[in-house]
Amino acid sequence: MTMLRQAAAIAGKDLRIEVRGRYALGAVLPFAATLLIAFGMSLGPGETLLRETAPGLLWLAVMFASVLSFRRAYQAEGEDGALEGLALAPIDRAAVFLGKAAAVAVQLWALEVAIVLLVSGLFGLPVGRGVGVMMAGFALGTVGLAAVGSLFGVLEESPRAREAVFPLLVLPLATPVLLAGVKATALATAGRGGQAGGWLGLLGAFDAVFLAAGTLVFGYLLDD
Amino acid sequence: MSVPTWSNVAPADAPAVVLSGVTRVFGVTPAVVRVDLRVERGQIVLVRGSNGAGKSTLLRILATLLSPTYGSGAVLGFDLLRDREAIRERTELLGHRTRLYEDLTGAENLRFACAMFGLDRAGIPGALERVGLRTVARELVRGYSQGMRQRVAVARAILRRPQLLLLDEPYAGLDTEARGVVDEVVLETNGRGGTVVLATHEPTRGGFAGRTLFMEAGRLLPEAHPAMEEVRA
Repeated sequence: MTMLRQAAAIAGKDLRIEVRGRYALGAVLPFAATLLIAFGMSLGPGETLLRETAPGLLWLAVMFASVLSFRRAYQAEGEDGALEGLALAPIDRAAVFLGKAAAVAVQLWALEVAIVLLVSGLFGLPVGRGVGVMMAGFALGTVGLAAVGSLFGVLEESPRAREAVFPLLVLPLATPVLLAGVKATALATAGRGGQAGGWLGLLGAFDAVFLAAGTLVFGYLLDD
Repeated sequence: MSVPTWSNVAPADAPAVVLSGVTRVFGVTPAVVRVDLRVERGQIVLVRGSNGAGKSTLLRILATLLSPTYGSGAVLGFDLLRDREAIRERTELLGHRTRLYEDLTGAENLRFACAMFGLDRAGIPGALERVGLRTVARELVRGYSQGMRQRVAVARAILRRPQLLLLDEPYAGLDTEARGVVDEVVLETNGRGGTVVLATHEPTRGGFAGRTLFMEAGRLLPEAHPAMEEVRA
């Protein structure tokens, strides 16, 4: 069995568990919606201000929601020692990392559709303008977030790591995604999507670095 | 995908387990201290000892879940540190944690195990039948009792057909019938020429073992130690 087939089996298992548990729908989406409404109310009714800040708020909501998703991705592994089962399997450790990252990315993409629609409705963000660039930004940014979260999420289940370690590692590392995602989205919705190439390139480079790093070092985090 | 067979045993004449001065330390606490052990292929070895004696740590080292802090060893002829994947292909650890996903059904858990270990799924119905779970195989594990979960783990061990079966308190939470199934798996593994290392508190279990070891404070007592005479008695 190739590494990619093993990764697909792990991703399929994670998505099946997620669909059954409805965690993204039941916990992460309400969290993101509450966050956006709170931001919207604190900024006041000024339509221009809301529209200008919307890309940043959108990505902040995605980022915080993604931290919950990363934790959930490994929570199921810790319920009855299932992560040990993965550690005992004679599979490439990279398959576990890639499978986890793929499942988290699919969940985040679904979540992002809902969040974008919410931001569009609440803040009047013109999502129809530059939709291609915006979609590319979210596609690339999500892969990067999923790679970082899946790489360090395994520490959540490590008996030697503390829960606090995870956000301390992930949030600073994901800052380039936040920055580039906000810029690309702002340019796209302002009708200047053509100028977003550099930011999309940064997201692509971030993805390449963290996918490669995860593939290489995940085994050291999973194994004793 | 194929069920592992005896033909893929690499060093066929190597002992099942050889440990030399194996020590495992957690922080500053030693869990296993300078263990020397040799287990020949085809043996059933019972490991006894009180809580915290180091039995589980020893089994986890043999399963490659933990690395020795000091010392060296080989399982089925493969080095504990260098050849982990080869050992994992041939070894099954059945412990008190069942390693199941609660939001998958019993059958789905076994299918996932087949994908991870490269096993043939065709054996799943038979394995479920043997552990008496065929009728509830399509129910979520979340609704299973501890005993039923343990039975799924036993079914996984049946599917694996390991060359080295490691059992860590496998009878915990099981009813009489399921305990019998565990014993059957032990005897079946041994009948194929496989090796079994069984750690249990239960004095009435493990009568089929050809050899009994005793652990105390992380150390394996010499087999001529007075405490061993007590265990045998």
